[in-house]
Amino acid sequence: MTSADVITALQRIFDDVLLTPVTLTHDLSANDVEEWDSLVHISLVVAVEKEFNIKFRVGEVETTGNIGQFAELISRRLKGH
Amino acid sequence: MVLPEQLPLTFIDQTSTAVLKDLLRERNPLFWQHLVKRSEKPGDFRDLLLLSTLRRRATALSLEDSRVKADIRVAMVGGYSLFPLQELVEHFLVVSGFNPTLFIGSYDNYVSEMTDPGSDLHAFAPQVVIVIPANRRSKYLGRISDPPSLAREQALADASQLLAICTELHERTRAEILLANFLPPAGFDPGPYRVRTAGSDWTFRKLVNLELGLNAPPCVHICDLEFLAFRRGGLAVFDDRAWFESKQPCSADFLVDIAQEITSVVKSLKSGPKKVLVVDLDNTLWGGVIGDDGIEGIELGDTSPRGEAFKSFQKYILSLHDRGVLLAVCSKNDYERAIEPFHDHPEMVLRLEHFVSFKANWEPKSDNIRAIAADLGLGLDSVVFVDDNPAEIDLVRQLAEEVTAIHLGPDPATFVRRLEDSRLFEPHSITEDDARRTDQYRQEGARAALTASATDITACLAAFNMTAEIRPFRRVDVPRIAQLINKSNQFNLTTRRRTEAEVSALIGDPDIVAFSIRLADHYGDYGLIAVVIARIAAAGVLDIDTWLMSCRVLKRQVEEFTMNELVRLAAARSCHQIHGIYLPTAKNSMVRDLYPQLGFQLASAAEAKVDYVLDVASYQPRSTMISITEPL
Repeated sequence: MTSADVITALQRIFDDVLLTPVTLTHDLSANDVEEWDSLVHISLVVAVEKEFNIKFRVGEVETTGNIGQFAELISRRLKGH
Repeated sequence: MVLPEQLPLTFIDQTSTAVLKDLLRERNPLFWQHLVKRSEKPGDFRDLLLLSTLRRRATALSLEDSRVKADIRVAMVGGYSLFPLQELVEHFLVVSGFNPTLFIGSYDNYVSEMTDPGSDLHAFAPQVVIVIPANRRSKYLGRISDPPSLAREQALADASQLLAICTELHERTRAEILLANFLPPAGFDPGPYRVRTAGSDWTFRKLVNLELGLNAPPCVHICDLEFLAFRRGGLAVFDDRAWFESKQPCSADFLVDIAQEITSVVKSLKSGPKKVLVVDLDNTLWGGVIGDDGIEGIELGDTSPRGEAFKSFQKYILSLHDRGVLLAVCSKNDYERAIEPFHDHPEMVLRLEHFVSFKANWEPKSDNIRAIAADLGLGLDSVVFVDDNPAEIDLVRQLAEEVTAIHLGPDPATFVRRLEDSRLFEPHSITEDDARRTDQYRQEGARAALTASATDITACLAAFNMTAEIRPFRRVDVPRIAQLINKSNQFNLTTRRRTEAEVSALIGDPDIVAFSIRLADHYGDYGLIAVVIARIAAAGVLDIDTWLMSCRVLKRQVEEFTMNELVRLAAARSCHQIHGIYLPTAKNSMVRDLYPQLGFQLASAAEAKVDYVLDVASYQPRSTMISITEPL
């Protein structure tokens, strides 16, 4: 799965969690989305782990700064390294 | 999409998130009703957070909420980051009809917040304080190899100290304190040795929890995390990453359990348990329809898995009755047919005397339930109604809104669970708790006495208060008798099988002496457990064709009791001799010596058949600890 594929899959998860739909782009970050507060953030991380069946390592999600980096992290975990 | 207005109320709990989102976009006030229903059975953490987010959005939009809500000031303090737990607690409180104001203590500062009268916690003037102490600090400080008494002492001291802090806080603030207990770890270390020492975290925390629960004063309510963790499963409870990253007490999904439990305890502080349970009959207390199937056709009791499930549901209802819940019947039936099983069915656990009201008629159930409540002088809001029929549940929900109507569904195996999960009959007021404590005390005493005298089997059996009921064969017992005949292998002298029709044919046969025995003791009812079929073969001679017994009641003197009855019947039929045979099989060696032990003489022995004979006049009745009850 490329990070573009991952973003497509992420879009579904965001649509599910957010009330106002947001189109995901590589550069989008939490600051750009009013609804995306710390609570929604927890919800998103939990949802992503379940949907992709991956487990993030300790501390790594907070190092990603935007959707593109988040998607890259997901594809790394999907490849198992 | 189906408009929510058209959704039957019963199906609201299946409201999808999409429907909730639409209702919110339309600013439809029905949103709240659906949100409340949907939050009763939350899925996982993610699901609940989404519901909570929708709720906050609705509040921000000032979407009109017509529900009457009670203001409550709730503080949460603990050895963890309490975000997002507070969010979940707030959500459950709001959907449960509260209007909460929350105070959240700072991370791991709970001891000084609770003990310093000048703290922000005190200034907040809470009505309820939720305390989640740091699990990691509940540790035995000595060596793991120390004698258990040392760890026990520390467990008591730790618990007492925590309870003292809670009590002082209560005395200063008048707040009710909700204290979470400790989570025993789910890791393997130190292996099976963990239970052989009181110093392991596993054993030590359980000891502390016991002391907390047993010593908590009335103002301290234990939020039993140990139980909740057991219920969910230890591996699903802990999440080390969540601790390292954000100082969470546990996994996200377990936060949902904690928040739900907290809310349930807070609710119980404000309103007592329900007082009345109204039950349907057909397919609720028994399988089938009494009006169609008749007393011999309904499924109830140990002859079938379904019958067993219904019986077990009745036992649960009886336990509610014994706890003080009033029972009533509300069924669409002819009264005369409906009461029949209560009088005559041997497997009925519930009897008419357990009910304060019995409505079996063809009037709408909502009218009957109103009448029941009025007769008892109770409000409809203290009534719970259970039925297997979704249509009846729906009607009651619409026509008697204040009644809590629980749909039991199609599978009797899940009935107990459904009623339990409603948590509507959990006792919690202090007087009730006191009463229960007395009971438990009595049981404890009785059990201890039993153990003390367990070496003396007769004394032990005497304490069982065994009662037995002897009956000639009768139609209603035929299925169970046939089942025992065809299933029993071990305590079975001849292993002769018979169909239900063949068993039925024995009833009324003048040459047949056949009876069954039911046994009960103070631990419970064992049901029909023994069967004897004998035939008057020649003048004055009674042949035992079949003698079998359920192994569940082995060594309870039922053998001797049965023999006494057999001899009594033989004498009554002018028989001077009883013939018994033992047909050995691979499984029935346990009864090989039964006849000689009961005083029979060996007549002839072959490999496939051993004959015994007993002179009736020479038989000395065996004394047993079983008393005979008169059949109903």
